[in-house]
Amino acid sequence: MRYSATLLDHFLNPRNAGLMRDPDGTGVDEYESCGDLARFFLRVRDGRVAEVRFQTYGCGPTIAAASAASERVAGRTVEELLSLKPQEVEDAVDGLPEDRKHAADVVAGALRAAALDALGRYQGEVG
Amino acid sequence: MSRRVYLDHNASTPVHPEVVAEMLPYFGERFGNPSSVHGFGREARAGVDTARERVARFLGAAPDEVVFTSGGTESDNMALKGIAFARGRGHFITSKIEHHAVLRAAQWLETQGFAVTYVGVDEHGMVDPDEVKRALRPDTIGISIMHANSEIGTIQPIAAIGRLARERGIPFHVDAVQTFGKLEFDVDAVGIDLLSFSSHKIYGPKGIAGLYIRKGTKMVSVQHGGEHERRRRAGTENVPGIVGFGKAIEIRGRDMKDEHARLTALRDRLWDGIRARVPEVRLNGHPTERLPGTANLGYRGVESESIVLGLDLKGIGVSAGSACTSGSVEPSYVLVAMGVPLDWAMGAVRHSLGRSTTAEDIDYVVESVEPIVRKLRAVMPVGAA
Repeated sequence: MRYSATLLDHFLNPRNAGLMRDPDGTGVDEYESCGDLARFFLRVRDGRVAEVRFQTYGCGPTIAAASAASERVAGRTVEELLSLKPQEVEDAVDGLPEDRKHAADVVAGALRAAALDALGRYQGEVG
Repeated sequence: MSRRVYLDHNASTPVHPEVVAEMLPYFGERFGNPSSVHGFGREARAGVDTARERVARFLGAAPDEVVFTSGGTESDNMALKGIAFARGRGHFITSKIEHHAVLRAAQWLETQGFAVTYVGVDEHGMVDPDEVKRALRPDTIGISIMHANSEIGTIQPIAAIGRLARERGIPFHVDAVQTFGKLEFDVDAVGIDLLSFSSHKIYGPKGIAGLYIRKGTKMVSVQHGGEHERRRRAGTENVPGIVGFGKAIEIRGRDMKDEHARLTALRDRLWDGIRARVPEVRLNGHPTERLPGTANLGYRGVESESIVLGLDLKGIGVSAGSACTSGSVEPSYVLVAMGVPLDWAMGAVRHSLGRSTTAEDIDYVVESVEPIVRKLRAVMPVGAA
């Protein structure tokens, strides 16, 4: 099997999949040449990620990467999330084959976009 | 691993045990070169001759009209380029849903000064003979239409197209890689001048295929060298492969009719079972004029590779209609030509059944598909494709 046991587990049993009512931040990223898409929803409390939900459209690794990343980023500050690297997402699924690295790119991109959105809303409220 | 179910017979098939038994001596004591005049060579030659007769009998052809090649791709290339370069210039007609071996050979011929018309298909993937007729030009030198498409299984009206070609004396090539040994046909009755066929789709070995060339068809060789295959295809014959191929087609002649009925019933059991359980699923391909073992199903809004992975984890081998390779994903060009909407085309999964497939296998696949698609749809945003 070309995928890790961790990746397959997340693919078969995705954590935190689905929509969120009234999120504090949402972000989408799409891998243009492939059509893979990830959308994240964040609930933020005291500047930290309290709850994560996601939807993805794409091959198995993209679903797994979104699920694994959703667990990994819970509890982090929104500022920290702004600099989330694809490598960290890839590490969360114990590696990706070369031709599936875009799964980590699209998931990291969507999470950064969601963090930016949450930060903007927060600053909008206090400013 | 618990249960394993192989539903990818249009990709390849396991070699039949009787075929393996027939081939084995030709790796050992009958190793000779068929071109050699001594006894060792004559033994090998006898094996090749028997195989050629078996293939010819199945096609309703003469043995010397059969040329063995290394694969369906070589046969298609030999057919198109052989016609083209025997004439030097002119126009071809083919379809948009041909195998890449025909499409890319045709595209290459365009770069060499030949003209090509690619006719379309209807929503079932069927070529309209009238469209072929309208595409004819005074300088048309060849028509190449496949017998059945590997992805969707739709069987083309080759008899009607063959008549058009014959009335005008235009060579007619049929890529029958997916139908040879699965459907009954006679090259004379259908008016075929060239026909590509392959071994590993019918429980024969890989690396061996053939091209039927009607006597009198003006062709040039694309591979030059020795006098093999009546100077039509140079190179020492793949004797064990040819012998195996001959046995494989003999077995198909024996089993084909029963298998046709059995697989058609199983194919319909699969489709009926899945559509009863899974919402928003469609059958891609002709409802009836279709290969007995082929069912291409499109799941709306789900990416096909994720379904293939989900089924793979249940021990089921099927193939995806779209593939994400090297960072780019294209919906199947066949489904696009049929006008299948993108959000359905991206979720296309091909199931191709074969001699090992049982009703229990089909029921297991039906039961496995529903939760996989349901879970994937829960993750995937509606309308993302």
